[in-house]
Amino acid sequence: MFNPRDIIETLANNVKQTTSPFGIPKFMVNKWFKDLSLPKEGEYMLITGLMYQFAPFIEKSTQYLEKYEGTKMASLLKYAKYMPGYLSGIGLAMMTSGKEKKDAGQPLKDIALLLQKSKVDFGYRPDLDNYSGILLYDMGDQKGFVVHAKKVAQKLKDAGIKKIITVDPHTAYAIKELFPKYTGISFEVKSYFELLDLESKDLGLEVTIHDPCFFGRYLKLSDIPRKVLGNLGITESEIRNKGEFTSCCGGPAESISPSLSNEIMGKRVEELTICLGNLKKSGADVEDLSTLLVRHI
Amino acid sequence: MTTINLDFAEELKEYSDDTALECFNCGTCAAICPLVHDNFPRRMIRYIQVGAREKILENSDELWRCLHCGLCTHTCPREADPGEIILGLKRFVVANWRRS
Ligand code: SF4
Ligand code: SF4
Repeated sequence: MFNPRDIIETLANNVKQTTSPFGIPKFMVNKWFKDLSLPKEGEYMLITGLMYQFAPFIEKSTQYLEKYEGTKMASLLKYAKYMPGYLSGIGLAMMTSGKEKKDAGQPLKDIALLLQKSKVDFGYRPDLDNYSGILLYDMGDQKGFVVHAKKVAQKLKDAGIKKIITVDPHTAYAIKELFPKYTGISFEVKSYFELLDLESKDLGLEVTIHDPCFFGRYLKLSDIPRKVLGNLGITESEIRNKGEFTSCCGGPAESISPSLSNEIMGKRVEELTICLGNLKKSGADVEDLSTLLVRHI
Repeated sequence: MTTINLDFAEELKEYSDDTALECFNCGTCAAICPLVHDNFPRRMIRYIQVGAREKILENSDELWRCLHCGLCTHTCPREADPGEIILGLKRFVVANWRRS
């Protein structure tokens, strides 16, 4: 296990300096929208919170952490905070292959397409799409989180944004529950699948659903993806621990202890975004809800 | 020797709601927690109840194994909100580091 203090201070410094926990400049990660011509405004603003975009970098940094966990090298991490965030982040960005980066953008393109097919009136503005700061909150850096969240929320408010579509459970939880509480700024927040209205079909497929902790337990949204899938004739095979009782995929432990995260994930896969990357790593045949839906519309 | 700090629960109020005293140590949270190690998170809550501030600081690294998955809170029969208590302890420890 790594020394949590070193990890937290590194992440906190990165967010402060670069607004990204991994120190990767936004223009290097956020490219998924470039070849789509999405409108800049609409009833809703799409806010990805950059979690999907960070996924390949999280994977890459975890591979490195995994290699060094429990070795003497692990103690060198404390010096990372003396390195400017951008520098370490660009290093990480260069170690991650173009294909990995491109794949990470695919679910976002799929989601945009699903929303368009469902005739949802939404816009996308990369300048307003920022990281929510959720990792700082989870790690207990309350002050760092509040400072960051206030900046992000204020920017959205200044742009006149009232309704937001999110794509991942962590960003949804941050904007819907934490922003009002800690920044005093509230938005109407929908997860993209709540707005889907796809043509019914009878595909006769069966899948297993993993409910992310934040959707299942904190936001109580697990029945909605099931309705969307049901409408396409996709049924769910039984799995232990679902909905409000969903088990953890182990992802959040990654930055502190990759080996612990592997242990938890192994358990989950025997039964069956952060979750996706983590469940894939174990070799299971998993895909994002959006990928599955796009294939069948 | 462990020193007991009677004002500890009071000190923690700054970091989360003080629900630790609701806990009657049934162990449900420790049984469902995916970490399944050493009675986590129940043991940490016990430390709060008995004012073992130093014990928490000594064992603080363990707190960051918590995934904030919320299973413990969901199954706690006493609404002690163990998940939030652990998050509150993380905040307490981070603030403590930054002061030192
Ligand atoms: S489940 Fe609740 S009451 Fe039982 S030990 Fe855990 S916190 Fe205490
Ligand atoms: S929130 Fe933390 S302490 Fe509670 S069950 Fe999940 S990992 Fe265990």
